[in-house]
Amino acid sequence: MSLLQPVGVVSFMALAAVLFSLGLYGALSRKSAVMVLMSLELMANAVNINLVALSRFTAPAEMTGQIFAVFSMVVSAAEIGLGLALVLALYRRSQTVELDAMQELKG
Amino acid sequence: MTGLHLLIPEYLLLAGAIAALFIERVSGREGAGAALGAVVALAAAIAAVVIGAQGAIAGGMLALDAVAVTVRVAIAALTAVYLLWLVGRGMGPERSREAVAFVLFAALGSMLMASARDLIVLFISLELATMPAYVLMGYRRNDERNLEGALKYFLLSMTTSLILLYGLSFLFGIAGSTSLVAIAAAPPAGLLGTFASVFVFIGLFAKMSAAPFHFWAPDAYAGAPAGSVAFVSTVPKLAGTAVMVNLATALVPHAPVLPAVLALAAVTSMLLGNLAAFPQTDIRRLMAYSGVAHTGYVLLALSSATPAGYAAAVFYTIAYVVPSMAITLIAAEEGTALDDLAGLVVRRPAVAWGSVVLLLSLVGVPPMAGMLGKLFAFTAAVSAGRLALVIVAVVMSVVSAGYYFRILRPIFFASRSDAPVLASSRSAAVAFSLLVAATLALGIAASPLLSYLGVRFF
Repeated sequence: MSLLQPVGVVSFMALAAVLFSLGLYGALSRKSAVMVLMSLELMANAVNINLVALSRFTAPAEMTGQIFAVFSMVVSAAEIGLGLALVLALYRRSQTVELDAMQELKG
Repeated sequence: MTGLHLLIPEYLLLAGAIAALFIERVSGREGAGAALGAVVALAAAIAAVVIGAQGAIAGGMLALDAVAVTVRVAIAALTAVYLLWLVGRGMGPERSREAVAFVLFAALGSMLMASARDLIVLFISLELATMPAYVLMGYRRNDERNLEGALKYFLLSMTTSLILLYGLSFLFGIAGSTSLVAIAAAPPAGLLGTFASVFVFIGLFAKMSAAPFHFWAPDAYAGAPAGSVAFVSTVPKLAGTAVMVNLATALVPHAPVLPAVLALAAVTSMLLGNLAAFPQTDIRRLMAYSGVAHTGYVLLALSSATPAGYAAAVFYTIAYVVPSMAITLIAAEEGTALDDLAGLVVRRPAVAWGSVVLLLSLVGVPPMAGMLGKLFAFTAAVSAGRLALVIVAVVMSVVSAGYYFRILRPIFFASRSDAPVLASSRSAAVAFSLLVAATLALGIAASPLLSYLGVRFF
């Protein structure tokens, strides 16, 4: 087992899985809305790595996966933009972005 | 010929959405945007009926099969009725022209989603259907509680979108292609197929508010204007069922465990949704839990993994969203607490008796649509050997009568002196009667509709 063996699809998918798990953990546990948005970005990037790696190793000629990744980047940028607009609108009202401070809706 | 002219209903909605933003400025009349939107959506529904089933179009990225056509027509027609209601009632204190545009965009996304046969198209149209919903849920931007609900809805919805997208990336890896047809035809993928189905269906369960991923729904709906909830909690669910049908068809060969997972989610949704609906005092929360329960019946039909089950799932979704939208619209007019409905039979007898029809259909009493929907769903599940689940479902339907009658009690057996005086609105009344009529008519039209979907039950 040499350290210099070529990097395979499994390595990329493992990296994506680690990033995705970190993002999911952050999205579910962070208290600040801005940090949650950053965790969501991490998850989106994990998906992109997965798509690009699978595209490279299963169908390198067609590049469909890479095109899918480009679309997914655009969509997540749009979503984050919308999310930040919501956070800003709420900040103007209540001067906080902490999700814990929002007590008005309960279970 | 790529068949792009077959997308005329979608083009109509797109043009209508853009025009709705400007027409009130040009004509200077309040409600002109909603009226235009209703006409455009009706035209789209008619065009979708005329076009009918066409098979694969746009190089196989979209396919207009019987399920897609049925769902397409239902989405456009329900959107038209909803916008007709909006002509009369508006969005409360806010101006409504942006709401009309967002509703049309969401309907457009839902229609594309139902016919998508390509992962990229599927994902883009899913986002087109959900992003306007975030705005609609937070439409009262000066109301702090409303913004909080919208932010929480946004954060959870985006998390589940990304989980779904992660699943789609594995799904892509199965065949190295984004086409659902190629994925279904690929040799069994083993672990990759299991990963794909787990993530994709967790995402879809959350979008359809199936237990145990339903927890966001009651909070999100209770924080939003009831007028928005009436749209967001109904029309996109039609597309959601169509997507579940398409993805289940593609994924069952790769993940043999999938029907069992669907059955498990079905039984948890039916139990949790029906039991948690009991103590609710807010109509939006009650309808959110009732939605969880009804998604359970849809999943029960899907879990049979047969064409009959898929057709039953589509029919059940239509049969449940129509009365559901009507009940939420009443909450938008009268107030969202159960007590706000007190004395409705004295103030507005037609609405009161209409809601009896709607609620009986939701319980599943013949001859309304809900009863036939349940019958088809249960028949499909029994023939797939899920007798125990069907027994749970039948018992839970009986239990559900309890909380639906909790809505009727204040309407008929309580009085209220401080009731708000509603301006009478002909368009809102027509919209409500159309929904009631559809609830009755779907019961009669059930057989032709199901034979169109390619299924003969009796």
